[in-house]
Amino acid sequence: MGADLDFAAEPAIIISLSTISLNIGIPRNIGIPLNIVITDLRPVLFFIRQSIMTSFVTVESLEKTFSLENGGQYVALKGIDLQIQKGEFISLIGHSGCGKSTLLNMVAGLDLPTDGLVMLQGEEILRPGPDRMVVFQNYSLLPWMTVRQNIALAVNNVLSNLSVAERNEIIERNIDLVGLRHAVDKPPDQLSGGMKQRVAIARALATRPKLLLLDEPFGALDALTRGNLQEQLMKICEESHITAIMVTHDVDEALLLSDRIVMLTNGPQSKIGQIMDVDLPRPRKRMEVINHPNYYSYRSEIIYFLNQQKQIKKLRARKTTAIARHGLEKINLEIGFVPLTAAAPVVIAKEKGFFEHHGLDAVNLVRESSWRGIQDGIAGSYLDAAQMPSGMPVWLTAGGLNGEPLPVVSALTMTRNGNAITLDKRFYEQGIITLADLRRMLLESRDRQHTFGAVHPASMHNLLLRYWLAAGGIDPNKDVTVSTIPPAQMVANLEAGNIDGYCIGEPWNVRAAIDNIGYTIATDLEIWDGHPGKVLGVREDWANAYPNTHIALVKALLEACAYCANPANQEEVRMILSRPEYLDCEMEYIDLGDGSHNTCGLHPSPREYAHHQFFGAGVNRPSRTEHLWIMTQLARWGEVPFPRNWVEILERICKVSVFSIAARELELDISYSRGPIHFFDGTTFTADDPIAYLNHLQIKHDIYMADVPLKAPGIQAA
Amino acid sequence: MTIARKQFNKPSFILDKKLKQRLDDIATPLGTILVLLLIWQLLTMILPTDLPGPIKVVQETWVLILYPFFDFGGTNKGLFWQVLSSLQRVAIGYSFAAVVGIGLGILVGLNKRLSKGLDPIFNILRTVPPLAWVPIALAALKQNQPAALFVIFITAIWPILINTAVGVRQIPQDFNNVAQVLQLPRTEYFFKILIPSALPYIFTGLRIAIGLSWLAIIAAEIVMSGIVGIGFFIWNAYQNSQISEIIVSLVYIGLVGWLLDSLMAWVQTLILPQSQR
Repeated sequence: MGADLDFAAEPAIIISLSTISLNIGIPRNIGIPLNIVITDLRPVLFFIRQSIMTSFVTVESLEKTFSLENGGQYVALKGIDLQIQKGEFISLIGHSGCGKSTLLNMVAGLDLPTDGLVMLQGEEILRPGPDRMVVFQNYSLLPWMTVRQNIALAVNNVLSNLSVAERNEIIERNIDLVGLRHAVDKPPDQLSGGMKQRVAIARALATRPKLLLLDEPFGALDALTRGNLQEQLMKICEESHITAIMVTHDVDEALLLSDRIVMLTNGPQSKIGQIMDVDLPRPRKRMEVINHPNYYSYRSEIIYFLNQQKQIKKLRARKTTAIARHGLEKINLEIGFVPLTAAAPVVIAKEKGFFEHHGLDAVNLVRESSWRGIQDGIAGSYLDAAQMPSGMPVWLTAGGLNGEPLPVVSALTMTRNGNAITLDKRFYEQGIITLADLRRMLLESRDRQHTFGAVHPASMHNLLLRYWLAAGGIDPNKDVTVSTIPPAQMVANLEAGNIDGYCIGEPWNVRAAIDNIGYTIATDLEIWDGHPGKVLGVREDWANAYPNTHIALVKALLEACAYCANPANQEEVRMILSRPEYLDCEMEYIDLGDGSHNTCGLHPSPREYAHHQFFGAGVNRPSRTEHLWIMTQLARWGEVPFPRNWVEILERICKVSVFSIAARELELDISYSRGPIHFFDGTTFTADDPIAYLNHLQIKHDIYMADVPLKAPGIQAA
Repeated sequence: MTIARKQFNKPSFILDKKLKQRLDDIATPLGTILVLLLIWQLLTMILPTDLPGPIKVVQETWVLILYPFFDFGGTNKGLFWQVLSSLQRVAIGYSFAAVVGIGLGILVGLNKRLSKGLDPIFNILRTVPPLAWVPIALAALKQNQPAALFVIFITAIWPILINTAVGVRQIPQDFNNVAQVLQLPRTEYFFKILIPSALPYIFTGLRIAIGLSWLAIIAAEIVMSGIVGIGFFIWNAYQNSQISEIIVSLVYIGLVGWLLDSLMAWVQTLILPQSQR
């Protein structure tokens, strides 16, 4: 277990590992790091073998099929692989009917898998046994026996090798352990739900099982009782080093108790969708754990997963066939956006009829609460197009999502700027008003973990924040933690003290300032003025399948950008954006950059507000240099390897041709002049030699170069 | 002063209310019976019938009612002895039925194949009325006494058997899971899980069966001459046109039936825990 964690903390090996598993021992595509070269793979292979050998419970390609009344078959679980180490606490979480209890029953041996096997310490589980004691959902106490008799029944049968005195001692000790001395001679009917569950737990623990299986143990209890029991169970498990598997649908319960959380997808054919390591320090306390900086990102990760599962049917239904009209291949589009001020072009194009004007009669805007929703919507083809953070096309194309390259193209930059870095107000009180101040503070308080929030690994916020920190001599991977938190939860997390600051798009910086929670220490004007904020992203196969639709879409959005940029329309745009279906907030938080708000007024020398640029010379044209810089930064922080074939990738991401056609047809001035990118620290970036640029950077993660094998440009199957 | 009087009055008021309630519980059925007796009396006075009215019944059976314990040998005994010997038969037949019924019921409940094979047979035999068994019982056993016992046995066994089987089949999966996880030995499972879990069903069967076996004994005795028992007593009275005696016996039979049912209900409350009643 311990070794496993160390292993996970070393991303350098992880990349190699995934390559190995893909190529079955022939490291053909293995990334060659610029700084470290792994020549000896033996320790890695040894570790893989070791981890398989030491696993306590092994579930291998398990499948469970039920026969239906009408003669059909229902495949409940399929392809479940899970390894559990000794002493681990595992939670199975998922929606009702996802087969989590079935899986637990098969580990218990109460049910047998249709295919595959379950092993405990290398022995296949074929029948139930007291070494795998179950705490049932509805307690399953025998109503004709008292509390003591119920526990004694288990102890006397399972531990029959012990003397009567020893057994009685165990029974009495376990009664005390769960604090039921006063009710020991009562039948279960006279106990409350919480007490009954305590009896069930005591009965299970008293038999000293190797593995404790809990089936929604606290589901039927009131919140107060549940909390107390959770803490008791956690204490017992920690003290006796019990290996446990718990089925639950309570996210907080899973987070509080588990070392790992196994998330199951919805049935039929449920499988493990995701396994999350819960790296919260033990011993955990219910009221303290929620204040851990990682807690909310863990929590939102699980909730995101569960929501995604709930919507999966809806999402599948959303994939309707293309309707062609007006010479366009598809006029029914699902366009994803995240409610931010920067979503203005998408919203305006819909509200002011620019989509219809260009023949896109049936555009539906899909509001996602996080960029993960956008990412998954594009990956799953549920979305035709989406407003994306400017780093996402590169990130997806280079294999940022599960290491699988997904070519995504961008033909339009919809906004520039509009981002800023906000710090907790208490730093302002400490007099931290420059990057140097921040660095000094961080150096002085090394004992404390400082956490910053960014919305997505591929978002410009993450890259800007890291660039800014690194430029100030702060290593964002070592000196601080940068965790992913959805935009809408950022202010709440700052207020709760879970994070110390964040880099995000508007309205969230303005909001923190107005609400007196934080202050803007730097805006993008001071880091990289004119950086691309949000871009239009579509899948490459989509762009190839619907070329005319793609151009029409860019035209509509380009006109919307121009509309947003016109100061005369500002009030109207703000009003539309503030509506419940979009940003759902007060108009005062939405600022399109008129500068009238003294939003950073906390600062002695107010920074200029981070203006969004929606339209203008060179604003909307996609730029290869910018995407290349993003590529270097994603590699710099270890998000993706740096592609050896970066020229090819850039060519395919950056659809300048589509933009040019659209702009020409709108008779817009598409002249532009763009030299190197200038950063606040005085450095510049040109597209000449990205590798030399990476090498010259001082603070960075271990950087890998790898071929990113992209499939030949294809056409999406309709 | 006022306070003291109030405190004094309050409990007495509650007592009054309770007493009233109690009185009401007794008075209402008594009143109803009186009214019904009155109607009966009026009807016998109006209608041309051999059936005596209640007053005439009491007059004619005064001796029977006052002296239930007389014993002149043979079948000439007081009503108490008649009822007692019927009850003895019921006790024997019923006990056999209970033992065999519960045992067979458990077997059938546990064994799916057995249950499949026997279920239709049980369902057919169950509906055969007790009287229909009498000729078969007499033909098979030749003697009155064992034949009567058999009729009771065969009438009482079905509800016990079927309910027991259902009870065993309906043991909650939770309890079976507990047994499986703990790997309880067979005997342990039988006494700690199976029997306690099926007990409410078994009791339902036993309670239905006691009513049925009381019905059966009357039917059986009526056709079996020369034995002491309330059934034959009625038959004998009918042969001698002593309608009033029959009516008194009917009252006895009803009261005993009611008593038997109450007894079972009471035993049930003694044995079963609160949740299973």
